[in-house]
Amino acid sequence: MPESDATRVSRHPAKSTNDVYATGDDGVSISGIWKTFTTRNERTVAVQDINLQIRRGQFVTIIGPSGCGKSTLLRIVAGLLSPDCGSVSIFGETVSHAAESKHIGFVPQTPALLPWRTVTENVQLPLQVNKYSTSGGDGRQSDPRELLESFGLGAVLDRRPHELSGGMQQRVAIARAFVFDPMILLMDEPFSALDEFTREAQRRGLLELWQSNQKTVLFITHSVAEAVELSDVIVVMSPQPGRIQAVIPVDLPRPRGNLVENSDPFHAVEVAIRRELRRNWNQPE
Amino acid sequence: MTSNSGGDLRSAQVNAGRDRWRALNIQLWVPPLVGFGLIVVVWQLYAVHNPYVIPTVFQIVDQFRTQPSLYWHDMLVTLREAVVGASCGMAAAFLFAVLMSHVRVLERALMPLVVVLNVTPIVAIAPGLVIAFGFGFTPKYIIAGVIVFFPFLINSLVGLRSPDPEVLDVFTTLHASWWEVLWRLELPSSLPYLFAAARICLPLSLIGAVVAEFSAAGQTTGLGSLIETAASQANLKIVYASVVVLALLGVSVTFVVVMLQRRLLSWHSSSWTRSQ
Ligand SMILES: Nc1ncnc2c1ncn2[C@@H]1O[C@H](COP(=O)(O)OP(=O)(O)OP(=O)(O)O)[C@@H](O)[C@H]1O
Ligand SMILES: [Mg+2]
Repeated sequence: MPESDATRVSRHPAKSTNDVYATGDDGVSISGIWKTFTTRNERTVAVQDINLQIRRGQFVTIIGPSGCGKSTLLRIVAGLLSPDCGSVSIFGETVSHAAESKHIGFVPQTPALLPWRTVTENVQLPLQVNKYSTSGGDGRQSDPRELLESFGLGAVLDRRPHELSGGMQQRVAIARAFVFDPMILLMDEPFSALDEFTREAQRRGLLELWQSNQKTVLFITHSVAEAVELSDVIVVMSPQPGRIQAVIPVDLPRPRGNLVENSDPFHAVEVAIRRELRRNWNQPE
Repeated sequence: MTSNSGGDLRSAQVNAGRDRWRALNIQLWVPPLVGFGLIVVVWQLYAVHNPYVIPTVFQIVDQFRTQPSLYWHDMLVTLREAVVGASCGMAAAFLFAVLMSHVRVLERALMPLVVVLNVTPIVAIAPGLVIAFGFGFTPKYIIAGVIVFFPFLINSLVGLRSPDPEVLDVFTTLHASWWEVLWRLELPSSLPYLFAAARICLPLSLIGAVVAEFSAAGQTTGLGSLIETAASQANLKIVYASVVVLALLGVSVTFVVVMLQRRLLSWHSSSWTRSQ
């Protein structure tokens, strides 16, 4: 089902979430993904039969206990791992095509900055690498300095990563993923190493950025509250083998500030997720 | 206000840094100077009573005063042999390391050969190389190069594999070419390892050059030849003056590497202030 411009711009979760399973060139479609790892004497089914449709501009969060294959799935979508079977299409392209034309922005779990480059130079990296690709998104590359200033990093542009706090480093890593205007952002627990206050600020920053850029985001987290605050859709995964257990739409209005956090609908979603997560433990198959 | 306090903080840090630097400098220079002076005194005392074992300090200094151009010229020859040989050897080792780290089959094919080369005493092939290539620079270059090849190769391999896998992931999702990964990630990441290796390799190449000169009996240039000729005439003064020049040469070469390292690796923890 092709989506109308109206839904895209207004991005009303109430409208989009029912279309989680809608197909089309205009989104990310993950179908029938399996991945098995074979170590010396053991075979681990990391992910089993993953099917997921993500529409353009949606913020999708994957949540689940450790070892349930979240990172594996994200790495497959990023083209860092190839699945045993199944396919991923990113806005109608294969993953390798999408990477070739720099449509994929990847934010790893650690900031993973280059220590010999200054903050600005780190953010410039994606513009220097694979220069002659058709460039990301609509070709709207940002000026690294302006982008960093909008990230609140204007004062540290010429510092080296080791001179920054962990939260600042993570923001630089996110700026690096934004600067070349990729079509999809893949983030693997980018805030997991931060304290609660910093996380909160980072979350707000990310949301603002997402709302003004209309990027499609696939985001991994361990935190239920984080998932509810950020997402249009929450994907709950269960371990051994890693499967999608539930896809929960979040029909909460945005912005979801402190007021909403204590509201009943917010809690209702939280409870639903926790129930799904708990099912993993109560009903082992 | 905030910027003011920030400025104060920064100048305080600078002052603290300067003080520490001064303290460090004294701690750094006085003990080795005292140790060195002690050795000179002991040497002199011993030499005065045993003139057939070692020359006195004054005799060595006298050598430099009376014929500086002899030592200067021979030093330049040995330095050239060592530096050219080491540069070629290190460049070749790095190229090999790049190939081996990108093509696994090559690593498996070449590693045993390299290990054999490493366990062979290079001194033993020096006379053969002199027969093959004559008294010119070629055999010296080869020996100086071969002697640094293995340590530099091993360090390069470790360095090229040192980047954090998550950084590599970022490069992969950007579809960086192998060349871009090498140039923008692997090479800078390996610089600390390459400098550590160079500090070992350049003094090693001096050994290689001197050994090569020893093997070319009848040659007239280079500190090794000077030592050999002087030794055959039992001229201890020239022998030890040459040794002193060689030691100074080793120190200067290491110093240059360390300075370059400070310059290029300010981002790396190895070149931050080493307090305590
Ligand atoms: N390279 C690998 N080799 C072998 N097994 C692997 C590999 N990568 C992942 N696995 C296995 O696949 C399963 C899923 O791993 P994955 O990293 O995707 O989990 P995760 O959900 O991201 O966990 P966490 O929340 O702790 O990051 C685990 O059982 C893990 O042991
Ligand atoms: Mg993970």
